[in-house]
Amino acid sequence: MHRYIIRRVLLMIPTLFGVAVLIFLLMRVVPGDIVALRYTADGGSVSAETLAAERARLGLDKSIPAQFVDWMGGLLRGDLGQSMWTGRPISYEIAIRFQVSLQVAIMATLFAILLSIPLGTLAALKQDTWVDYAIRIFSIAGLATPSFWLGIIMILGLLIVFQWLPPMATVSFFRDPWANLSQLIWPALAVGYRYSAVATRMTRATVLEVLREDYVRTARAKGLWERVIVVRHAMRNALLPVVTIIGLEFAFLIGGLVVTEQVFNLNGIGRLMVESIIRRDYTMTQALVLLTATVFIVVNFAVDLLYAWLDPRIRYR
Amino acid sequence: MAVAADAGVAVGEERGRALGVLRAVLRFCRTKPLGAAGGVLILLMVVAAILAPWIAPYDPLETDYAAMLAAPSADHWLGTDAFGRDVLSRIIYGARTALLVGFGASVIGTTVGSVVGVASTYFGGKIDLLVQRLMDILLSFPIIVLAMAVVAVLGTGATNVILAIAIPMIPRAARVIRSSALAIREMPYVDAARALGFGPTRIIFRHMLPNVVAPFLILLTAFLGQAILLEASLSFLGLGVAEPTPAWGLMLKGAAVEFAERAPWMGIFPGLAISAAVFGFNLLGDSLRDVLDPRLRLQ
Repeated sequence: MHRYIIRRVLLMIPTLFGVAVLIFLLMRVVPGDIVALRYTADGGSVSAETLAAERARLGLDKSIPAQFVDWMGGLLRGDLGQSMWTGRPISYEIAIRFQVSLQVAIMATLFAILLSIPLGTLAALKQDTWVDYAIRIFSIAGLATPSFWLGIIMILGLLIVFQWLPPMATVSFFRDPWANLSQLIWPALAVGYRYSAVATRMTRATVLEVLREDYVRTARAKGLWERVIVVRHAMRNALLPVVTIIGLEFAFLIGGLVVTEQVFNLNGIGRLMVESIIRRDYTMTQALVLLTATVFIVVNFAVDLLYAWLDPRIRYR
Repeated sequence: MAVAADAGVAVGEERGRALGVLRAVLRFCRTKPLGAAGGVLILLMVVAAILAPWIAPYDPLETDYAAMLAAPSADHWLGTDAFGRDVLSRIIYGARTALLVGFGASVIGTTVGSVVGVASTYFGGKIDLLVQRLMDILLSFPIIVLAMAVVAVLGTGATNVILAIAIPMIPRAARVIRSSALAIREMPYVDAARALGFGPTRIIFRHMLPNVVAPFLILLTAFLGQAILLEASLSFLGLGVAEPTPAWGLMLKGAAVEFAERAPWMGIFPGLAISAAVFGFNLLGDSLRDVLDPRLRLQ
């Protein structure tokens, strides 16, 4: 087990390095750099020397390999560098936004778990009845509804019913929990619907599978209560793949909330990513992509370990 | 399958095959009513896209400053947008964009992914390992982030958006196809083909790829809905299809908050179109998966 963990951790390094190389190269082939965008986009005339000086200040005059080495050197020292757009440290820019994205992701996950596990189990227990059909249609509709459109509809409803518009700034949970929750619950629900749909379908499928296992038949033959069979025998085994799905979706939500953050005016990681790409803020985009990839890979790994811990039959070597 | 294609198909056989397809479709409709309902939704969308110039009441690009943000009425069934363009006509024409990008992206993504998956299993060893690592790298990007980065490189517009959506699909398709291809590689006919002295290209394209058609079709339908959703998201962010092309995501872009109070129809109807389209593809894809291979489960 220890050897397995060490090997997996070591395997993360080449993958993350590959991500770094890929996003670095992608950003360099994007037409137009930040200096051109900033000084000449509005049609103003700026002397060539000013542009060159600005490029030199940002380190854009160096060769591409040299820029990559600079970036990697900084990363090894734990320094993400400065945003080319704001000039502030990237770690600071990310820190002030990470909280919002993380909170929405956690709330959406809780919502998805609370909704999907009971619904999925119910659909499986009542397979091919109207309950099952209703839950299935509800979840397929969840997969089909774009979360940003659901967000727009929510805003429309809130506006018409409560005269409420998403505020421009986010209140910290620790300063005013009520205001914070009443603001973030909507994006969490908008994202959580699709998320719960994915998990509901998974729960239904695995519970159906487990209910056909021999040990469930044995439990029935012993005359156990149906409730005990479902909760203790079926669900405990059926929920393993659901854990995986929930973990992976959670990992994608960090940084993947791009569109929802845009709709609800949330200043989160996803929105920062859109802005950075549009502004050609190389250093910021690179850091953000590397961050989301790291979260994804680490959560993936954590889910695998959790799997082994939950199911003693699984042993990694 | 490959042999039949080699020998050439006689006319009578062709008619027999067409009847067989028709019979299969009818059986599918009978046993999978939900899937058939999805198929009907898609058919409606295809018809709307093809007949757009005849059924759309207005030119989707025609601006009418006398009727800006007009509420739904007999003239404009679904109202007009900020430029006085007819929302219904733009939704009908938007089906063209959605289908073009959806089919384009998922066909390219699934095809390239399948070829990569089959080729990497065929060669095996170091090549397989290297390809797998490369796919791991691509898989660690959230789909929308990778698509956004590709659009930033290529620029906006329908063709570029197709590529931007196809690229994140390649590793996902390759991974699924690889697991099917692993078993095929061990089949005696692959050994036989090799013994006959056929090169890798011929074995991969003529002997292995035709045998992953079932997972290929399942992936294709699963990706179609996703591609339409992604196109809408990218267009909504301003990183997709560019104005004034009628596209559903783009129509929602202007509708978000600014016009919420004055023109809610702008925000409601294009979203309904997206949901209906994706719903249709998901229903069809689900049932198709049950019919083609009950063991293959994709979420």
